[in-house]
Amino acid sequence: MLQLVWLIPVLPLIGFLAIGLFQKKFTGKSAGIIASATVFISFVISCGLFFQLSSAQTIDYFDWINVGSLKIPISFLIDPVSIVMLLIITGVGFLIHVYSIGYMGHDEGFARFFSYMNLFIFFMLILVMGSNYVLMFAGWEGVGLCSYLLIGFWFKNNNYNKAANKAFIMNRMGDLGFLLGIILIYVTFGSVRFSEVFSGAAKLPDNQPVIVAITMLLFIGAMGKSAQIPLYTWLPDAMAGPTPVSALIHAATMVTAGIYMVVRSNILYSIAPPTLEFITVIGTATAIFSATIALTQTDIKKVLAYSTVSQLGYMFVALGVGAYSTGLFHVTTHAFFKALLFLAAGSVIHAMSGEQDIRNMGGLKKKLPITHFVFLVGVLAISGIPPFAGFFSKDEILAMAGVQSKPLFILLAVTSVLTAVYMFRLYFMTFFGSFRGTHDQEHHLHESPSVMTMPLIVLAILSALGGFLGLPSVFSEHHLFKNYLSSSLTVPSSVIHSEPSHYFEWAMILVSIITLIILIAITYNRYVKKGYVTPLAEINFSKTFKTLYHKYYVDEIYEALIVKPLYWLSDMFYKVFDLKIIDGTVNSVNKGVNAASSTLRLMQTGNIGFYIFAMVVGVILMLIYNLYGK
Amino acid sequence: MNTLIILSAVGVLALFSEMLNFKKALGAIILLGLVGAFAADVMAWNTNRHYYNEMMVVDNFSVAFTGLLIVITFLWFIMSPDFFREPSSRIDHFALIIFALIGGQLMTSYNNMLMLFLGIEILSIPMFILAGSNKSDLKSNEAALKYFLMAAFATGFLLFGMALIYGATGSFQIQNITQFIKSQQGNIPVMLVAGILMMLVGLAFKVSAAPFHFWTPDVYTGSPTVITAFMSTVVKTAAFAGFFRLFSMCFESSSATWANTIWALSALTIIIGNVTAVYQTSFKRMLAYSSISHAGYMLMAILALNQYAQGSILFYATAYSISSITAFAVLLLVSHLAGNDSIESFNGLAKKNPLLAFATVLAMLSLAGIPPLAGFFAKYYIFTAALQQHYTGLVIIAVMGSLIGVYYYFRIIIALFKSENDDVVIPVNNTFKVFLVVTSVAALLLGIMPQLVAGIL
Repeated sequence: MLQLVWLIPVLPLIGFLAIGLFQKKFTGKSAGIIASATVFISFVISCGLFFQLSSAQTIDYFDWINVGSLKIPISFLIDPVSIVMLLIITGVGFLIHVYSIGYMGHDEGFARFFSYMNLFIFFMLILVMGSNYVLMFAGWEGVGLCSYLLIGFWFKNNNYNKAANKAFIMNRMGDLGFLLGIILIYVTFGSVRFSEVFSGAAKLPDNQPVIVAITMLLFIGAMGKSAQIPLYTWLPDAMAGPTPVSALIHAATMVTAGIYMVVRSNILYSIAPPTLEFITVIGTATAIFSATIALTQTDIKKVLAYSTVSQLGYMFVALGVGAYSTGLFHVTTHAFFKALLFLAAGSVIHAMSGEQDIRNMGGLKKKLPITHFVFLVGVLAISGIPPFAGFFSKDEILAMAGVQSKPLFILLAVTSVLTAVYMFRLYFMTFFGSFRGTHDQEHHLHESPSVMTMPLIVLAILSALGGFLGLPSVFSEHHLFKNYLSSSLTVPSSVIHSEPSHYFEWAMILVSIITLIILIAITYNRYVKKGYVTPLAEINFSKTFKTLYHKYYVDEIYEALIVKPLYWLSDMFYKVFDLKIIDGTVNSVNKGVNAASSTLRLMQTGNIGFYIFAMVVGVILMLIYNLYGK
Repeated sequence: MNTLIILSAVGVLALFSEMLNFKKALGAIILLGLVGAFAADVMAWNTNRHYYNEMMVVDNFSVAFTGLLIVITFLWFIMSPDFFREPSSRIDHFALIIFALIGGQLMTSYNNMLMLFLGIEILSIPMFILAGSNKSDLKSNEAALKYFLMAAFATGFLLFGMALIYGATGSFQIQNITQFIKSQQGNIPVMLVAGILMMLVGLAFKVSAAPFHFWTPDVYTGSPTVITAFMSTVVKTAAFAGFFRLFSMCFESSSATWANTIWALSALTIIIGNVTAVYQTSFKRMLAYSSISHAGYMLMAILALNQYAQGSILFYATAYSISSITAFAVLLLVSHLAGNDSIESFNGLAKKNPLLAFATVLAMLSLAGIPPLAGFFAKYYIFTAALQQHYTGLVIIAVMGSLIGVYYYFRIIIALFKSENDDVVIPVNNTFKVFLVVTSVAALLLGIMPQLVAGIL
């Protein structure tokens, strides 16, 4: 299997090149089928790796960059961490590709869409397989590019282009941090290869300032890519892209790249306790902050987007308390249920002829039975109802956080409650009550074709059962997921080393189940029994609701504090620096050269007498200088 | 040595082909002969043998440059078949080109001043004839006459220089002169200094360095385009090989006496070549000035004379010749159709024939020194070699010159994409297509893997 590793990223790349270069040759659904096939074969190879790999392997292919002491090979690191990510990317990626064949079926950019999707898979695989930071960065930038291309996929709508720009620019800010981090790594360790950096770091004591700086810079990159405060506002806007893109890039894979990167660098993070604390704070703040926003959103995809931001916050909390495997576990279950929720939402949008506002939905339960059922599974999973997947991973995060600090535990528990509320609000408003859309929409309502529902069902099964990969210790001594990863992970010495007590876990499980049941009952009462619908007109909003609805006005604050001054500054630079100084210099040089040229040209008289005269003058000058001048 | 024999045989055969009546097969025979000569040349790699009482030496420097000359001549024959169908006698031209090539080979491998002189003359005399080979064109006649008069003048300096050096050292043999210079321990007699300077004048004329460059624009413009292509590639490369060989192997230890002079020549050539090129409206004349400016850059390698200089001048000559011959090839087709060689006649070429336009773009970018093309690394190596010898000022002038160069090379690229209403399709035969593809690929390949050529010396 190890000989085939290179095929995993190369196949989607071939798919991208073939489909991208010969878009017009691919008629009908062929582009979608080929794109899905490449990802499927990569998935099969990844499965083979999963079953055969016994220890971490680095596979070198060739030197990519070789300048002075800087050697950057194209080489892949295959270990449990990267295999988990490979399985998620190719597995979930394949399902989303298949779903897209149905979802994008009528789009004129069908082939272009699949070429971008394959390109994304390629870069994402490079990101997780690369055995050095530069290769990882190449993948990191590549997925950013694909995200940009796919958010702006329907480029005729200028708002979508703006969303794409926003995503790209905000990510670039994070990327700058990442890049500086890589440079600092090279300066510190003399290498960017994981093996050398980590073995160098393993010898260092805790709290080295340079390591703290490196981990902080890398984390800034993660903040951009994984949409953490303050660089999160791009992700909700990124919902402008087609829904499968939201599922694949903005929920299941790309946005978890930040978590992957921290887990991959866990040796560095473990010896930098201040960074871990910082990550915990940012993660918690993001989790609770975006959960409150999600409570009030009325666009089905925006609710899910804020929920994603919130869940990413959770994952970072897990990393912050040193529970790397727990963070990755939540990445996995989240990939299942959030991809499911997005795709199911896509199915709803498909049925509603493009409508995304839940205030215009309602009563879809009967019309879309499969979509309704899988959506319910997703909602149960994300809300943390046992035995669905989200329960296990989220409770594990809560338990690990509880061991470290009680206030942290309470904040996360509150967030967990909020999650259940907004998810059930979304669920009830969409599927229960009476239909509130137009007559036309009601007429067109239909369940999606099986090419879309099959992936949904597979994801529903995964969301229902995926949690059993990591049973808490009260149920089982064997935490499959943790054991599998343990060889690649460390435990920070700064965190409290104790497993949560069984008593604590039982109490937590019971309390959470009871709370959730009560909450669901209240939500049901409000949105189904009383039939409450968020009013369409903003005038009827309460003040708090309005603030939340406008996302705490963060976009407006950024606009006023950063964007406007930047525009002003760049306008100034343009008018003064560019037009006057640079253009002025260039133009006057141009004039000077032209004038010189037209003068010098006249020396070429065509008269041999003059030519020979000039030669003789030259010879005389040479002789005078050399024989008398010195 | 076998190279020289094969080439001479081919040249003589070409002369006699009229009598022996196999004119038609001659083109193929010459190409085969060139391949054979190239093979013989490659075989001589690392042999380092002396011939004819040490009059000639076949070392790696001469093998590399001879190989380059043969390859360019081969390409030249591929690009210029039409030339020989013109009314003027075809056999003579074949033979003259081959003899010029032989002269070029002598200039890369001489070990005695007389051989250098012989080489230069064997190379030059065919060129005088070829420059005037378009007998019905007044410009062509003028070019031949000017070239001949001025070259005769410059040869006078060269011979006078050799005589002075003989007077000072008592020998024409390179090693003897080197030893004499070393034995003087920096205290070089005036007669020798004057001799070196005179030879410098003669050679500077051959490579068209300012202020001895005045013949170049007139001769390049007046000669038939294929002959100009040959002059600006093969002749130029051979002249630089001879120049470099003389100053690196013979006069190196006296560099204090000539370094400043070459510095000045180089700077002046770069400035005059680039600045004057800006105002030209004829593509051919612009290439003539461009060729002058490239001579200025190559002079920097002679000035630097460190371990990188040999490889860098070889690479520069290769990169420059390949791009230059491509540019002339395109000009040949375009001017034939347009009836003149103005830059305007390139307007809209991108639409009329994308392959031609693409090859032109690559050639211009390479001549301008834009990465990743060969021309970039050519300049990079030469500038690096000069910087290592601390000629910072000269490198700054050279970089400014390159900037001006970008300006006039890009004028051509812009012209290619100007919209033109008439949809004339320029027919290009298959041989020509292959030629353009090969030279374009070579320009790219050498840019990606410059060590292929630069690393062998």
